[in-house]
Amino acid sequence: MKAVARNAVRVLLIGVAIAVMIVLPSYVSDFHSRDLAQAGVFFIAIVGLNIVTGYAGQISLGHGALMAIGGYTTANLVAHHGLRDVWTIPLAGLLTGVIGLLVGLPALRLSGLYLALATFGLSVAMPSILKHFSGVTGGDLGLRLVEEAPDKITGLSGTVTIWGYTLTQNHFLYYLTWSIALVLLVAAWALLRSGTGRAFRAIRDSELAAESFGVNRALYKTLAFGISGFYAGVAGSLLVVSAEIVNPLSFTFLLSITLLVGTVVGGLGSLSGMIVGAFFLEYLPDLSDRVSRAPGVASIVYGAVIILVMIALPGGAGGALKRFSEPLTTRLYTRSQ
Amino acid sequence: MGKRSYIAAGLLGALAIVSGASAASADAPGVTSKEILIGGTIPLTGPASAYASVAKGAAAYFKYVNAHGGVNKRKIKYVYRNDEYDPVKTFDRTRELVQQDRVFAIFNTLGTETNLAIRGYLNQVKVPQLFVASGASTWGRDYKKYPWTIGYQPSYVAEATIYGRYIAKTAPKSRIGVLYQDDDYGKDLLVGLERGLGKKKGLIVSKQGYAVTDDNVRSQIARLKAKRANTLMIFATPKFAIQSYSSARQLGWRPKVYVNAVSSAANIMTIATLSSSKRQTEGSISVVFLKDPTDPRWKRDKAVALFRSILKKYNGGKGLRDVYNVYGMSSAFTMVDALKHAGKNPTRESVMKAATHLNERNNPFVLPGIAVRTTPTNRFPLAQAKLERYHNGRWVSFGPLVSVR
Repeated sequence: MKAVARNAVRVLLIGVAIAVMIVLPSYVSDFHSRDLAQAGVFFIAIVGLNIVTGYAGQISLGHGALMAIGGYTTANLVAHHGLRDVWTIPLAGLLTGVIGLLVGLPALRLSGLYLALATFGLSVAMPSILKHFSGVTGGDLGLRLVEEAPDKITGLSGTVTIWGYTLTQNHFLYYLTWSIALVLLVAAWALLRSGTGRAFRAIRDSELAAESFGVNRALYKTLAFGISGFYAGVAGSLLVVSAEIVNPLSFTFLLSITLLVGTVVGGLGSLSGMIVGAFFLEYLPDLSDRVSRAPGVASIVYGAVIILVMIALPGGAGGALKRFSEPLTTRLYTRSQ
Repeated sequence: MGKRSYIAAGLLGALAIVSGASAASADAPGVTSKEILIGGTIPLTGPASAYASVAKGAAAYFKYVNAHGGVNKRKIKYVYRNDEYDPVKTFDRTRELVQQDRVFAIFNTLGTETNLAIRGYLNQVKVPQLFVASGASTWGRDYKKYPWTIGYQPSYVAEATIYGRYIAKTAPKSRIGVLYQDDDYGKDLLVGLERGLGKKKGLIVSKQGYAVTDDNVRSQIARLKAKRANTLMIFATPKFAIQSYSSARQLGWRPKVYVNAVSSAANIMTIATLSSSKRQTEGSISVVFLKDPTDPRWKRDKAVALFRSILKKYNGGKGLRDVYNVYGMSSAFTMVDALKHAGKNPTRESVMKAATHLNERNNPFVLPGIAVRTTPTNRFPLAQAKLERYHNGRWVSFGPLVSVR
């Protein structure tokens, strides 16, 4: 009986959250809904990163590079092959998913810090790789979608009409991003509840134990990277759809670190916490900028806030949420462990 | 399941609110009875931050104009945002200026790639892109495709043509090595140089490009030296121009230097001299179209005196020796001129019309004799310049005003 009530509350909360997300753009300026869409991009990326890091236990500092692959796939398909921007999103996701599988290969031999460093190498090298293949990527200058294929950008004129409804471009981007985010969130939730999700967690908790129970370690590790790559690709693609321009500076190694920060702040191994992580990533830089314009202050504030969050909420937002929502007995039980 | 129906009702209500929200009205954005709001982006940090004074000088000049009654009783409010010279950021900040701040026009945004990034968008939404702070010839040339865009300074092609002609005439046996920024800006200068050299194009023995994201240009300079060039063309932004001088000095190489106008400001040359040597910068050649505040010739000049007093009053007395501040003021002077001629109630169309019908002989910040002039089919506001030579730590202009486009 209690379980039924808990589920009802959960459904209600999710309903309220969705309703809030639907009405949110009407309460902020039109331009601001673009920032909210950007938060959605972060959300998708860190839900994906959480699958591989939070659930499968493989630290990745290469997700900025994976986003770059998604972003450039979209940019190239629009600018050089004349595809409409929104249709490139699934393609970008799939291609990046395949690349993600490949990135997962080193994870078979490396783990922990060593894997983090290997994936970090990918992030550091990515801008140079992009510059090298300038025929595809436009090199240093990148690709300007507005110049190359203005008719393929949805809403360049300022509005988008779907099924008779006319939205501003910014609102369109917002609903597009968060609809995709919702679908991918549900998919991640379903995946992580399935046998695959249990296999991920088993590997995270102990690779040796998992293998002795018959979990195919190699398969699930690469699979986690592949799925996570799909999410990163979709996020990178959406980033470019919204920016309408891309260059190697859009995806520096800092992005990879930022994503990991967002995941940890949101809570490793918690999907609902990712929403906090996403808004944290989107708004903290802006808020720290507001503290003072003096050079360096913003970075110090940014760093200090991250440290404070980690001290106050070691499990991230998701961990805190869990602690308050679980019954006291469970809390005591976990405490005593 | 009462709760489910609550959720459904909530969702429906939410949808109703969403569909009810409509866009705001759109009459004469940025213009009120008291104010005209314009905006632009500039690198305040990053590899091209030396150009920040292009915005600061302009901002100071607008404050001065506002203190003296403004334009048709309206004050000019000029907002400039930092784009770090990254075109992606330029687009982002510009979109914010247009959509969030609702500026009347984009003014004085600096850089070639940065302006290329926003041109398609601004022309799509019909927001004037005025007096682009870049000398790429596309601003003046491609007005049929981009009617809402106009440049300002002499074009890079024109500038390098002047160098080419001068070398072909005075030093036809040079071995020319070119360092250029590998983008549309650097390539424009290359085109101009070859045009100016004409039949002597073969004098160029090597061209070395660098990316604006590179750390330094040491290897490029070494390669130019290895090609035994005796003339160095520096087609680079200030940070890299300074590095060119210091790297050449470290390599014990002392070519005759031509340094493009975007890096030949006196304060940049002072740094270049300090980081190399007096002998290294001595004899460098560049072009000039503004009154250089460090040039003793303008010591008693009224415009330079005005320039100083404006900076003292509205910029905390900073940048008195910085010619980029002069550039900003000159550009702002032309902007005020265009707004004055855009009618009592300026519209985006009328300011574009005014900007393409300039006939400004009284701009005090440019060299005497230079007129800022445009027509709907001639969109190069500044098309005259003089050669100048660096001697004893300052620029000395020589020869007549040259007019090219």
